[in-house]
Amino acid sequence: MNMFSSLMLASLSVLTLPIMLSILNTHKNSTYPHHVKNIISYAFITSLIPTMMFIHSGQETIISNWHWMTMQTLKLSLSFKLDYFSMIFVPVALFVTWSIMEFSLWYMHSDPYITRFFKYLLTFLITMMILVTANNLFQLFIGWEGVGIMSFLLIGWWYGRTDANTAALQAILYNRIGDIGFIMAMAWFLSNTNTWDLQQIFMLDPNLTNLPLLGLLLAATGKSAQFGLHPWLPSAMEGPTPVSALLHSSTMVVAGVFLLIRFHPLMENNKTIQSLTLCLGAITTLFTAICALTQNDIKKIIAFSTSSQLGLMIVTIGINQPYLAFLHICTHAFFKAMLFMCSGSIIHSLNDEQDIRKMGGLFNAMPFTTTSLIIGSLALTGMPFLTGFYSKDLIIETANTSYTNAWALLMTLIATSLTAVYSTRIIFFALLGQPRFLPLTSINENNPFLINSIKRLLIGSIFAGFFISNNIYPTTIPEMTMPIYMKLTALAVTILGFTLALELSLITHNLKLEHSTNVFKFSNLLGYYPTIMHRLPPLANLSMSQKSASLLLDSIWLENILPKSISQFQMKTSILISTQKGQIKLYFLSFLITLTLSMLLFNLHE
Amino acid sequence: MLKIIIPTIMLMPLTWLSKKNMIWINTTTYSLLISLISLSLLNQPSNNSLNFSLMFFSDPLSAPLLVLTTWLLPLMLMASQHHLSKEPLIRKKLYITMLTMLQTLLIMTFTATELISFYILFEATLVPTLIIITRWGNQTERLNAGLYFLFYTLMGSLPLLVALISIQNLTGSLNFLLIQYWNQALPDSWSNIFLWLACMMAFMVKMPLYGLHLWLPKAHVEAPIAGSMVLAAILLKLGGYGMLRITTMLNPQTSFMAYPFLMLSLWGMIMTSSICLRQTDLKSLIAYSSVSHMALVIVAVLIQTPWSYMGATALMIAHGLTSSMLFCLANSNYERTHSRTMILARGLQTLLPLMAAWWLLASLTNLALPPSINLIGELFVVMSSFSWSNITIILMGTNITITALYSLYMLITTQRGKYTHHINSIKPSFTRENALMALHMTPLLLLSLNPKIILGFTY
Repeated sequence: MNMFSSLMLASLSVLTLPIMLSILNTHKNSTYPHHVKNIISYAFITSLIPTMMFIHSGQETIISNWHWMTMQTLKLSLSFKLDYFSMIFVPVALFVTWSIMEFSLWYMHSDPYITRFFKYLLTFLITMMILVTANNLFQLFIGWEGVGIMSFLLIGWWYGRTDANTAALQAILYNRIGDIGFIMAMAWFLSNTNTWDLQQIFMLDPNLTNLPLLGLLLAATGKSAQFGLHPWLPSAMEGPTPVSALLHSSTMVVAGVFLLIRFHPLMENNKTIQSLTLCLGAITTLFTAICALTQNDIKKIIAFSTSSQLGLMIVTIGINQPYLAFLHICTHAFFKAMLFMCSGSIIHSLNDEQDIRKMGGLFNAMPFTTTSLIIGSLALTGMPFLTGFYSKDLIIETANTSYTNAWALLMTLIATSLTAVYSTRIIFFALLGQPRFLPLTSINENNPFLINSIKRLLIGSIFAGFFISNNIYPTTIPEMTMPIYMKLTALAVTILGFTLALELSLITHNLKLEHSTNVFKFSNLLGYYPTIMHRLPPLANLSMSQKSASLLLDSIWLENILPKSISQFQMKTSILISTQKGQIKLYFLSFLITLTLSMLLFNLHE
Repeated sequence: MLKIIIPTIMLMPLTWLSKKNMIWINTTTYSLLISLISLSLLNQPSNNSLNFSLMFFSDPLSAPLLVLTTWLLPLMLMASQHHLSKEPLIRKKLYITMLTMLQTLLIMTFTATELISFYILFEATLVPTLIIITRWGNQTERLNAGLYFLFYTLMGSLPLLVALISIQNLTGSLNFLLIQYWNQALPDSWSNIFLWLACMMAFMVKMPLYGLHLWLPKAHVEAPIAGSMVLAAILLKLGGYGMLRITTMLNPQTSFMAYPFLMLSLWGMIMTSSICLRQTDLKSLIAYSSVSHMALVIVAVLIQTPWSYMGATALMIAHGLTSSMLFCLANSNYERTHSRTMILARGLQTLLPLMAAWWLLASLTNLALPPSINLIGELFVVMSSFSWSNITIILMGTNITITALYSLYMLITTQRGKYTHHINSIKPSFTRENALMALHMTPLLLLSLNPKIILGFTY
């Protein structure tokens, strides 16, 4: 069993090697990106061994402690928790990142700072690993914030562009709002349970956990882009495509969901928080699915579908099935990263064209990308026996048979159906029909970096779900029996979505949109949310800080009350006194007053 | 303690006797050596303090601040080289002498045993600072800034003298070491309320408390680089240090007198950070960010729990290094673009990539990225204020968000975007500047490995 933790640590620490190396190696090295890619593949292979041992031996969890410091009554330690969640997640994340790194070798090959790019990606991966293996809140927070900051750097990679900078700042802002919740939860646990260690918190099982769980829910809302704090996720598409693939499909955005999964032992008995989570997830999944329907930017559609899937994961936590949510995280990672990479391949081949209306007919030009994109979309919609099916179908089934909030469940079902609709839209517009792009584009997808990376994820998208779901023991009691119509609901709504979208697209393909309806505007303008929330509150805040905080208080009132009024007063009196007016009566009167006052004071003192 | 004070005093003859081309290197090396000696003070073997004599002592609270003080002198010397390159030799020597004098006084202030000698030295530090600001500042507004600086601090601290005399009458001693064993509660009377105010206001003005902070942005903006550095890094911390020392003997008045000041700090923290969002002047932004961070320290000291004391001490050290580094960065921009306006120095990342890395690190520590010691400080303050009253988390959270926003706004405005044409021909960053930043950053990073040594006497 010693092999277990040492191999796991080896696989984690091998990741830090390239970063250490960059300190020693001052001169530029053109093979550095390849090294990083190889290192990640080694880490993946190494991590497979402990994972298999873990699955084989059926352990529950291994916690390693390394004492850092003790303050007052609180012991802080560097503590890794290797349990079911982290043991499965680490290889999945490494596998996906491996492919993404290889993909970036192709996508970013002309970037002069490709070395730095790989360093950023690697640091991002490391912080994510810290996050998933952390056993106390402080360590989790390190990973949590590290992921946020790395996303800032990566989204703003093309720092010359204003949009990229705005998107990066937006990501940090929304994440920071979530962090308030995280810090509040930390403070609450510290003052009520006197510990930040997860197992100790769960063992103490404090009462009245509404406040910290609300904080954690807020944190998850920020990080996982749930409704209210969601706009940063689609804006983050300003970053390079590998960044979108890594940050916004499989790793960073699932951190929020992961946090809620970690804290599930506290949530499972708290009905208030559960219904809140359920409703939040349902609103998110439906709202973002609606937004995805009318977008024309291929990356935006995929980003919104990510948001929608995240909502589905939160719904799953809301119906008390964290293991299913975790399964969905893992399966989703494969096909979503692949979808982003396919879109990256298309965008790159069409000279940075992201609009699906200007694509079309790509199935002839890019057969491999087309195949992968279609398989990815099918996996996303939950096509039987592809990866997505194993988690998504289970989630919908469990949701159908549970007796919680029916509205939330109905919204989830509609969103599931809409998944099929927007997937069809991508396939229909980008891949089928006649080409609508410029004739002089050199389409070439035959680069081994591109082909291999997508191929690897393609295999993952087909088989990973089967392997993962087959190798885990059922942790919550699965629904044994259900009526046949419930069993088939998920499939039925998906097929309904497919056929509807296909028919509608075929009918309306040659129609011109004269007047956009209100429904269309609502969907296309993202529910007017960014228009309102990105204008009014910032305007109010910034004008408040300019007008009242800076001008009125600092420059006028505080300055007038203390320094200026004193100098004014001194000036006035000195002018008054220094210029004799000859008012003898007044002077004597003031002298008299002083005299009587001093007499009074002396008398009182006695 | 003399082994630090006397070498520091001997820096002055060294300056005057050095040859023309050796003054910078001589003084910098020598002061760096002094700071290395002072590192030994961080090792506090017992819970008691290290008593060196009747005059000087050091304990876990003063030792980190003392080390920070000695550490900062070589950095200030390194930072001012370019600023003074056009001055005649004698003025350079005078300038270095001023810095050394300030340094000596600060060391003695942090190690004074008697409250009254602490007071005298506290006031004495005003003189060299005033000279540095008003003599070597860049614009004519420096005279106004000097006035504000002097009179705000003096007006705040004069009542303290009266209060100290009264305490001397009451207890018979003003010794820090003795007073902590004098655990009598002050009677509940009006005069004791005024005693509390007199004791605290001196330090609150120095911190500064919101409402009494006007001198700070002015002094920071007008001061030369070394002045800004020492103001932000150490002089503000004098206030925090004084508050931490003096609250031990002001019980139980603090428990109810603290409320208005707590409110003012919590409110002012948000106000000043939102002012930062609208600043166009780089140095002014950093100055306001100092006010906002120091408000956290005030809150922590007034709450008076072990956790909050630890947070206050850690935050003071962390902020000292961070804000000083930010001022250095601002100065390196200023020396190239000759303007403090942020928008004139856009897109510097393209031209000065290494400097952009320092900017990034400084901004990240300013917004308290884990696991930096800034986070440890802020986190402890937030924890203690949360357990004091749950509602404060709203204000604290808002402040945390705004802090992140303005730090990154500063980073994006100066470093990102397209560079403007008038900065096409700027100088590359010097090794001296990079070394300066590295010397700021290294302690910050190393301390996050073992924050114990800066957690103060309640640790």
